[in-house]
Amino acid sequence: MNRNLLRALAFAAGALAVSLPAFAGAYPLQVARNVIMYMALALTWDMLLRSGQISFGIAGLFGLGAYATALGVLRAGMGDWLSLAFAPVFAGAAALLIGFLILRLRAMYFSIVTLALAEIFRIVIHNLHDFTGGPEGVVLDGVMLGGSAAALYWLTLGGLAVALGASWWFEKSKFHFALTAIRNNETAARSSGVDIFRWLLATFVITSAIQGLLGGIYVQSYGFATPDSVFDANFTLLPLAIALLGGIHSTIGPVFGAILLGLSSEWLKLRLPYGHLVVYGVIIVVVILFMPQGLYGLARKGLRRAEGRAE
Amino acid sequence: MKKGFAILAIALLVIGTLAMTGCEKKPVGTIKIGGIWPLGDITGRQGSMAAQLAIEEINAAGGVMVDGGKKLLELVVVDDELKADKAAAAVEKLVTVDGVEVLVGGMASGAELGKIPAFKKYGLPVVSTGAASYTVENALGGDASWYFHLHPWDYNQGASYAEGWAAIQEKFPDIKIEKLFLAYEEGAFGKASWDATKVLFGGGGYVIDGAPFKSAALGGGDYASVLEAAKKFGPDLFLWAGYDADALPMLEQAKAMKFNPGVYLGAPPGWPADFGKSKLAENVMLYGMWAPSMNDTNVASKKFYDGFVAKFKEEPATYFAPLSYSAIYIVAEAISAAKTTEKAALISALAATSYDSPLGETISFSKSNVIPYQGIRRQKILQWQNGRQEVIWPFEAATESPVHPFPAW
Repeated sequence: MNRNLLRALAFAAGALAVSLPAFAGAYPLQVARNVIMYMALALTWDMLLRSGQISFGIAGLFGLGAYATALGVLRAGMGDWLSLAFAPVFAGAAALLIGFLILRLRAMYFSIVTLALAEIFRIVIHNLHDFTGGPEGVVLDGVMLGGSAAALYWLTLGGLAVALGASWWFEKSKFHFALTAIRNNETAARSSGVDIFRWLLATFVITSAIQGLLGGIYVQSYGFATPDSVFDANFTLLPLAIALLGGIHSTIGPVFGAILLGLSSEWLKLRLPYGHLVVYGVIIVVVILFMPQGLYGLARKGLRRAEGRAE
Repeated sequence: MKKGFAILAIALLVIGTLAMTGCEKKPVGTIKIGGIWPLGDITGRQGSMAAQLAIEEINAAGGVMVDGGKKLLELVVVDDELKADKAAAAVEKLVTVDGVEVLVGGMASGAELGKIPAFKKYGLPVVSTGAASYTVENALGGDASWYFHLHPWDYNQGASYAEGWAAIQEKFPDIKIEKLFLAYEEGAFGKASWDATKVLFGGGGYVIDGAPFKSAALGGGDYASVLEAAKKFGPDLFLWAGYDADALPMLEQAKAMKFNPGVYLGAPPGWPADFGKSKLAENVMLYGMWAPSMNDTNVASKKFYDGFVAKFKEEPATYFAPLSYSAIYIVAEAISAAKTTEKAALISALAATSYDSPLGETISFSKSNVIPYQGIRRQKILQWQNGRQEVIWPFEAATESPVHPFPAW
């Protein structure tokens, strides 16, 4: 497709997203916030996936960022914005330490360890009762920005902008070549001078920091953090489903996936209050079974075919 | 002729005026009530069904009197999926799109916490059927005068258990409880139960011990070590806090180990559907708010039960059903008392609630530790007897006396 047309479309989508509060009510804005949150998480998962590493640790880093923000406010007396900035710093620092330990692992060994991360963090938070509030969690005095639907929407959109910017940077910088080389053949990449551990560590830290930031935004938007809510497996599973549905190894795939899955989930819920989760689950299974390359992959294939016919 | 017209006109005016002031009006328009429950869970599914039943009963009786006319009630239900973000979206949708005037529902504390910013923003009357965690009332704050909480808080529940066991021991002197053992699932729910038990029973002259186990619902299912620890401790009361999946396997292992405490009591949020049919279930005790056996002693309970079974062809299996049913009646009575849905008047009418509920008690609201309007404060102690859950305590709602000790295997 024409590059200028793509840019124009991206600009229009961005303008529409930013101006949404001007013509949408509180309910569409809340749904949009939910969609945006999972979209950003799906992007960060996909960014690490571009190296071939499948992480199941999203909820762990998200929860860590959430608690960093909540405890930053309650225990360290941070202001709202400072606590938000603290979340990615804390999650990134934790990822740096963990990364040194686990980034030598590959394939399912890496995946299993990351799966355990959320549970380990949850148990630690759970047992530091006096500091973290234990299983009952902690409650902030209120939500950020006076609870304004528009302001909280823009705050979440800001989190997405960070994820989108990082994903775009990964696609356009040396990250793209390094991660693709690692994914295709690690031995070949190493022999070509790619410092595999360094690239993986940088990717893991950056994606974890963004996941932490999103956790911080979540806490500041709802005013509370409990281990069961912020380390919920849905923060791992839904971003995976979104990226797989939309199309992996790209920025646009998770964006499409989140819009489609997020809106269809809400629409189904209103139409089928008592059975929507079954239909939703079946849709995800069918799409992943029969369209493994995702919607973006399918669209690209279709476009290529159309261009081939035109020539 | 002119005189005739004048008489006719006056007569029509008088008749019209009499009709306007003296006769009952047909319902015009509806009052929308927004209901938010987790519809994928039996508590929310049956809770919302029971709420719909209440709406239909009230409408069949003519609706509620508002602004001099009768109006029907309409329930708009949205699933919160047990998630804070979805619950928040549900509030926004019900208030801004559907235009509801009152909100009811709720089950999980995590989802309720997600709704609170939106609740505060709109300040509509809320009659909450769930959320036991004290963190919810901390998040609401003392000025949440629009929030009417029906379900007991966790500290209310713990205090009522301590009160109940003290009363049972006083009335039935052969029941002596000095040593108490809590087997708790290692997650948030079990740990919170353990913390509350230590606080509430620790100061009451009880000797307490406990140990965690991994629930079958979360991939566990081996209770040998926790039951061995309990057997060694020799408790008069063995309490387990886990999930329905643990109920039968734990009993089977207890029997295999010949663990026979004086009282065997479970506190899961729900029980397996056919638990009562198992021979092992006989004389097992449990905590809850309602049981079908209350139909024998409580007219409101029987009316609710019969209506539910007739409409849905299934038995209410969770106390969230009569609780949600009660929530709708409380709202309807408040609207009728206020004669308006205007916020301040409706809140005043809700504050003056006195409703004979199917739960075996008259519900009214008074101040809790934090919020101004707390409804029910006590849970009940029940026991499986001959396949039925019988109420043992409070004695005013009791359907049977306790069977003690727990039978030897």
